[in-house]
Amino acid sequence: MKQAILPPKQLLIVLFNLRNGLLAATLIPGTLFLLICGSFFILVGQSPLVLFPAIFNAAFGSAYSWTETLLKTAPILLCAIATVLPAKLGLISVGAEGQFYLGALVGTAPVLAFSLAPKWVLMPLMIACAALGGALWAGLSGLLKARLDVNETISTLLLNYVAVLLVNYAVYGPWKDPSNLGWPATAPFPDAAKLPTLGWSRLHLGLGLALLAALSLYILLTRSRWGLSLQIMQGNRKLAKGAGLRFGRQVVLVMAIAGALAGIAGIAETSMVQGRLQPNLSNGYGLSGFLVAWMAGQHFLKIIPLSILLGGLAASTDALQLFAGLPSSSAFVMQGILFACTLAYKGLNVSMRTTPRL
Amino acid sequence: MHIQLQGISKRFNSLLANDKVDLDIFSGEVLALLGENGAGKSTLMKILYGFYQADEGCILIDDRLVVIDSPYAAMALGIGMVFQQFSLIDNLTVAENLMLASTKTPKWQWSDRTHWVNTHSCLSQLAPTIQPTNRVHDLTVSEKQLVELVKVLDADARVIILDEPSSVLTPLETQRFWTLIRQLADQGHAVVLITHKLEDVLACADRIAVMRKGRVVEVCLAHNNQKPELERHLSSEDLIHLMVGQTELPVVHPVPPSLAHPRLHIQNLWVGEPAAVSNPGHNAVRGIDLAIASGEIIGIAGVAGNGQQTLADAVTGLLPLTQGTVHLDGAPVHQAGIPYRTRHDIAYIPEQPLQNGVATDLDLVKNLVVKDINRMPFFPRRAKQRAQALQLIQAFNVQPPNPDQPAGNLSGGNLQKLVLARELSGSPSLIVACYPTMGLDISATQFIYEKLFNHAQTGACILWISENLDDLLRYSHRIAVLFQGEIVGIAETRRASRQLVGKWMTSGRQAA
Repeated sequence: MKQAILPPKQLLIVLFNLRNGLLAATLIPGTLFLLICGSFFILVGQSPLVLFPAIFNAAFGSAYSWTETLLKTAPILLCAIATVLPAKLGLISVGAEGQFYLGALVGTAPVLAFSLAPKWVLMPLMIACAALGGALWAGLSGLLKARLDVNETISTLLLNYVAVLLVNYAVYGPWKDPSNLGWPATAPFPDAAKLPTLGWSRLHLGLGLALLAALSLYILLTRSRWGLSLQIMQGNRKLAKGAGLRFGRQVVLVMAIAGALAGIAGIAETSMVQGRLQPNLSNGYGLSGFLVAWMAGQHFLKIIPLSILLGGLAASTDALQLFAGLPSSSAFVMQGILFACTLAYKGLNVSMRTTPRL
Repeated sequence: MHIQLQGISKRFNSLLANDKVDLDIFSGEVLALLGENGAGKSTLMKILYGFYQADEGCILIDDRLVVIDSPYAAMALGIGMVFQQFSLIDNLTVAENLMLASTKTPKWQWSDRTHWVNTHSCLSQLAPTIQPTNRVHDLTVSEKQLVELVKVLDADARVIILDEPSSVLTPLETQRFWTLIRQLADQGHAVVLITHKLEDVLACADRIAVMRKGRVVEVCLAHNNQKPELERHLSSEDLIHLMVGQTELPVVHPVPPSLAHPRLHIQNLWVGEPAAVSNPGHNAVRGIDLAIASGEIIGIAGVAGNGQQTLADAVTGLLPLTQGTVHLDGAPVHQAGIPYRTRHDIAYIPEQPLQNGVATDLDLVKNLVVKDINRMPFFPRRAKQRAQALQLIQAFNVQPPNPDQPAGNLSGGNLQKLVLARELSGSPSLIVACYPTMGLDISATQFIYEKLFNHAQTGACILWISENLDDLLRYSHRIAVLFQGEIVGIAETRRASRQLVGKWMTSGRQAA
């Protein structure tokens, strides 16, 4: 067990160590990000001195902006978990986006089929179906990996496109609401298919589920027998096999859990933000989740603040459009720059260490 | 050319690999360096090749003192070495590989025709079947070996050191290789053949230097040497004798327990080429029959690479069997290819603990509890685990004794102790131990033996794979020899001699 309370000197080192202290880990990539992003703004003819405060205000400036940020944090956090969990077994999954879409698709099915069912039936059913959809989608990649040793990165990546197209097929074809007059979307979700919200705000159960999942997975991974067996399997496959652990089973299980969480993110977004199943429902959450997972070094707790940060960036797109006339996709540019800065800092750290451990 | 090695000593930590070795190497002659694994043959030659530096002693070439501080220096002096592991780039062609290795052409001048013509003629002379435009990954092992040889010759080597060249070859290829070695010697090269196979020596050597435990114990002429000199000729029995030594220590466990009710039953165990080959480091195992009684220690001797690891992995249930069964206490160890190791409580001490026995990123506590992973509660009590781990660490003297450090911090010997601490705790019913005392000093070795034999006394079967003939003959009840995947001989240790075991090890069943 690690010591719970650090002596003051060590605490100082943890915080202020120039190479890998907490402060340096935040400040160095942060400054780098501001510099590069600032140059980007200057390049497109905007003053960073005006834009940065505007972005910050739009993300964290008021109670309203906080709810908008947290609303976007929920799917990002769930997708990040869906990336971190497979990484605990040494798998690189980029499939959160596809699982998100498939969760939305399968979760929508009971809503359309039993739209008159009471809330206590319909809502749990919807969430369960969404989880199942995501789990099957990710489990397919897991099964391919376990049985045929198909690279999970490639299969999850490619299945993303399939999932998006499946949703498109549904909303352009059989599930299109005729009263939409050609607009590709299903009928609006009934109230019975809405998740509970926090008081007056738009914040919904999805955020709570995401936080709960991150915390409980953290505890399971560090404290439980299951977590230990995952650690052993990632550490040395031969040793794990000798101890009677079955890698293939765990691959499928871990992928399925990851997929289920991403699927829940998908149905929550569909039900609570879009209100109906329609194309382009994700807003790049799968990608954001992936970036968060890698920036956090595949750590279940560190992904929480980072998800909020990226949620804030996503929420500030409106401000960008309003103040600077920049397209909303410039949020992705900022995301990318942030990601590159964090990874560059980490890479620098690794290469500066005397004994690199790969 | 005449190379003299004088008083060469080399020490690796506690292991004295070479102990004041004197050796002469002459042009036009094949010198066989014969010895068991770990006798110090390769170390000696790597010193000559500049790969290692000798702690003591000197090297003279034609009576001039030379300093060989790197392989480059050795190559400049005309000394070349072909290692067991090839250093070829699979995706390049043969020609490109040769050019890359060449010291004579600068890298930016690959089109130097004259030099290329030389290399090409050398290649076509040695290996007419290899086209320079062939990709290396399309070559067979023996062809790769030839390319390595061409590389060495291309650097104008006059002394060619071959490290266990025949270990990768089929019998037919080996014969061709012997002819080639003779040709090289007849052309005036000095060839040093490092080997543990008697047949290599008898087929093509002029002179034989036998090494044992870091010393050259005998230098003699080979049978086929026609030179009328007054040196001794030795029979192959004598050579084996020299190789494996002759001091016979008293047998500690003389009387094997009764085999009326064997506890471990291995019947007609085959692990074929495909399964073996797809797992690196494995050689096929053919038709092993073995019954081990409760409390019996069976020593498995044999030169490395004759199927030891495959046998160990197959018996512990890690490798799928092609044919046959392994029963422990009447229950099969294999079921649909899934290891039921934990159910049967089989302890396995694998070779190379770093690759096979520990997870280097995890701390010592986690590494020690791996064995019980399927028996611990869902939320294990970590304080208790840590206390137990600490006890084991102290009992087996793992240094440094900090249970929270990652296992990757430990040195080789301590990693071995860590694996031993895990596997020899509890009360296993079968212990498969591969080279269990590798990297340990004498007192640690004694401690491990005591632990091992205590388990035998309480009824465990022990399958003990080792290359240390002295200890095998001294401590096991019965000794079996693996040769090319078969058990070529098995005997009670009180009736076996080093001679007999040595014969089985070097030449298989024919000699028996």
